[in-house]
Order: sequence, then structure tokens, then C-alpha cells
Amino acid sequence: MTTITPTPAAAGTAQPRSARTTTLGFGGVLRSEWIKLRSLRSTGWSYLLVIVLAAGMSLLLALTSLSGFGDEITAGMPAEAQTDLIVRTMTVGVGLTQLVVAVLGVLVMSGEYRTGMIRSTLTAVPRRLPTLAAKAIVLFLVTFLVAALSLVGAFAASSIVYAGEGISASVADPDVLAAMLGATLYLALLAVFSLGVGTMVRSSAGGIAIVVALVLVVPTLVQVIPADWAQDAVPYLLSAAGTDLFAMDPDDALEWWQNLLVVLGWVGASGAGAAVLLARRDA
Amino acid sequence: MITAAGLTKRYGAKTAVDGLDFTVHPGRVTGFLGPNGAGKSTTMRMIVGLDRPTAGSVTVNGKPYAHHRAPLHEVGALLDAKAIHTGRTAENHLRAMAATHGIGERRVREVIELTGLESVARKRVGGFSLGMGQRLGIAAALLGDPATLLLDEPVNGLDPEGVQWVRRLVRSLAAEGRTIFLSSHLMSEMALTADHLIVLGKGRIITDAPVADVIAGNTGTRVRVRSPHASQLADLLAGAEVSVMRSEAGLLEITGVEASGIGDLAAEHALAIHELTTLNASLEEAYMALTADAVEYRTEALR
Repeated sequence: MTTITPTPAAAGTAQPRSARTTTLGFGGVLRSEWIKLRSLRSTGWSYLLVIVLAAGMSLLLALTSLSGFGDEITAGMPAEAQTDLIVRTMTVGVGLTQLVVAVLGVLVMSGEYRTGMIRSTLTAVPRRLPTLAAKAIVLFLVTFLVAALSLVGAFAASSIVYAGEGISASVADPDVLAAMLGATLYLALLAVFSLGVGTMVRSSAGGIAIVVALVLVVPTLVQVIPADWAQDAVPYLLSAAGTDLFAMDPDDALEWWQNLLVVLGWVGASGAGAAVLLARRDA
Repeated sequence: MITAAGLTKRYGAKTAVDGLDFTVHPGRVTGFLGPNGAGKSTTMRMIVGLDRPTAGSVTVNGKPYAHHRAPLHEVGALLDAKAIHTGRTAENHLRAMAATHGIGERRVREVIELTGLESVARKRVGGFSLGMGQRLGIAAALLGDPATLLLDEPVNGLDPEGVQWVRRLVRSLAAEGRTIFLSSHLMSEMALTADHLIVLGKGRIITDAPVADVIAGNTGTRVRVRSPHASQLADLLAGAEVSVMRSEAGLLEITGVEASGIGDLAAEHALAIHELTTLNASLEEAYMALTADAVEYRTEALR
């Protein structure tokens, strides 16, 4: 590789030459998006918040639950009920951590539009869609890992408190594992869904408003609509299906895998909309 | 080599770029000049595929920019010094850009040194001055050691030392045989840096010629004459090809006739002359003459 120096070279003699040994490739775009995600302070803070909120909420719920129990309740609690209690306690923080990952997902793309970075990004990757795909993959993997950690922390916090009263569940219990996996999947997929929303609206405020409304406001709104179709629609809402991935509720209208398909459907719709708009619009 | 053919961009009813045909050749600095709103930035964005042309096409080294296997090795672009995430350090911004093309850490260090950013490389871009932002933008453009460079207003916000540095850098890159396409609103800067000019007005090419030709072709030579017999001399000079301007008593500015002709004429009629100066035309005057009809936002009161 030749170094460009600012001192004038012999005029007109040299040919343009560069060490063109490297090319644009998807592996490189993935690495680029990984560098981008980890080099922003907001990423670290958001993920730290996910872990602290998950463990902290579980700890608080475990402590308040215990103070409400009489000895007669805890003494002869069946194993199934013990597991159920621990699962409910360890997933209580998801209600808040879902908001954190949703906001982070929006910001991963809207932050590029806010700062103008998107023009640098799309100049480096002019075909554009590899950038969206790489962002989605990196965001999914990192959020999955952090969400898993947060649930392990929440399980540990719950277990430590309940252990004093003789209530326990094994981390290897299928119900515990299924709830951990379900909550982790929901959080990682919600982040990717939000990335798509951020890409479509290109604005942090707008994107955050949409995903928060969808997660918090829309389910309540739909439930109060006095019509059968509204009640039938509830299980198909993103947050309802997502919550049913980890909440132990035998009355669920949908099977576990059906809930997963519903969540994937939301992610797919958001991703497709984002891909079409990103490819077509002027940056 | 950049080639535009019928390149057009419309936003609704407004035509920003209107059927441009031009070629930017390697080995020289091509200046891209025009009043605000003339379509310079839109044209540059279309070259690297950020904006899609409404009609026509533009290619870089024979292919649309997006079709190259290693776009950053083909074209380095500084389109907007603000096109950088403010929360990231300069170093990490360059690393992320480099990673897309598998460009190594060594090259990242090289462009940081080359642009004099060593002391701020680990600082967040949000705290950068406009000049440091420009240097970082130039560093990013040079990452791929590209054969073609697009620089939109690169000296904007730079101090005099920085302006000189950009001028030397751009000249040396062109001397290495690279294609340099440089926009600036500083006409004096263009006169010093560019070899060739493409002048744009209201989305159309007004002129596409070497700098020297632009200056010579668009300003008649002016001659300043100071004489106690100014009015007599003015009457003698008056003619179809000659225009005479009286700025103050005893002072004339004459276009359309050489200084020697005026001197001879005065001698013939025994008129005393106290000053006879040929005023050199500047690129700025040539530019004003060229774009007089194509200025989008005119300040009427001043004219």
C-alpha cells in the first residue's frame, strides 16, 4: 500500500494505484456494524440497564412476595408451585426491559439519520440492504446475549431470596429454561422489530413513540373495544404474543410455537417495510 | 473518471439538476462551481448513489458507483462534514468505515496521521470544530486510497493553514493521476487549486472549460484611466465595442480597448494622462459574469 503524502509528487507521471486487495463483503459489513454498536456509550448504558432492571425487579418482587406469605403457605408448597413462583418472579422485569431494548433498536438506525452518519454508511455500502441485514443480525445476537444474562441474573436474585424460605427451582427445570429462552427471544426480536420501525420513520422521537405505543398502549386500547374481533385480535398483538412466549398461562389461545410465529410475523413485516423504504429512498 | 449523461434530478415540480452531460478526467483538479441551490451537492450525491437520478445516469470508472466490488477503493467522498455520528470517536468512526471493506488498522492510523488528527482521534466527534470535522471527513474519504475523490466544500471551516493543506493535498493527489472533483463557493480558492472548471447555474452547466479560458473568455480587459480631460477622452473612445464608466471626476474605467490604444489616442489628441492601468480580470469576476442570470437567491437591494 502506498501512502498518500501531502507533498506534491512529480506531476503527471504516476498512475492511480492502490492496494485494492480488499473488497466490500458481508463479513466486513457485519464487523462494521459491531464496531458501531459497541463504540456508542448509549449501547453500554442501555444493556447495563436491562441487566440491572431485570435482576432488581425480581429481587424486589421476591422480597415483597415473601413478606406477604405466611409460614403455612411456604411450608408445604408443591414443587410445581415453587417453579411457577420463581418463573413469575424472574420474568417480572421484562415489562420494563422490553422498553429499553425497543428504544435501543430504534436508535441503532434513527441515530444515523439524526447525525447524518447514514450518508457515510450508505456511501461505504451503496447496495444498502447488507447494512440493514448486518444491523439486524448484530442487534439480535448482542441483545439475545444480554437478555439471557439479565434472566440468569433475575433467576439468581429470585432464588437467593426464596431459598431462605425453602422455595427453590432448578435452573435446568424445563419450565425455567423455556421461560428464559422465551423471554430472551422476545427481547431480541423486539429489538430487531424496533430497528425496522426506526429505519422506516428515520426519526428517534417518532420511532420510539411508535414502538412504545405498540407495546404499552395498543394492547389496552384493543381490550376496551367492545367488539368480538377486537378480543380475537388481542393474542396476535406483538406484546401479547411476546409475553406468552415466557408467561406460564395454560389459558393461552395460542401454542408456544404459534406465539413465536406471530412475533416473527411482526418482525418480518417491519423488516420488509424497512428494506423497501431504505432501498428506494434518497439518503 | 466520472461521466454524467443527461443527469437529471427533480423534486416534485422543482428541477434541481437538469440534464447534465460532463466528464471529470483523471490527473487534474476539476472545480465544481455555482451559486447556492445550483445543484452541486445533489449532483455529487447522485455520483455515489445516495440520491437516485430522475433521468439520465452517472458512472465512475465506467460503472455505476454501487456496482463496484469495492466502492471505497474507487471513490472517496467528502459530501458533508456532518455525516458522522457525534457519539463515536474519530478513530472508531474510521474503523467502522474501514471494516466494511476489510481495510486494516494500519491504514486507519495512516489517514489519521495524514490529516493531523492524532491528538483528537480518541475524542468524540460531537465536540469537534467544523475544521476538525472536515479533516475527519477527508480522512474517511482517503481510507480506500481511491482513484477518484469527491470533495464538497472541503475548505469550509478550515483555518488558513488548513486551507493551504487541502490545496497541497488535492494538487498532489491529482499529480498522482487521480480524478479530483472539488466543489467550492470560494472562487479565489478555485483559481489557486483547480485546473478545469464546471460552472453550474440553476441546475444546468453554464461552462465546462479550463480555468484560464473561463477567466479570459468572460471578462473583457478593463483599463483604468485618470486624466484631467476625462470627458473629452470618453467622447473620443465611445463606440460600439467600447464601454466607458465614470466612477468619479477625472477617472474612467474602460472595457473593450487595450491600454496601448487609449495611450496612443490620448497622445494623438495631446491629452494629458495621469494614470493608465490594466485591471486583471479575476476568476471571481468571470464567475459573477457567468452566473449573473443564474443566481437562485439574489440580493436585489445590493445590485
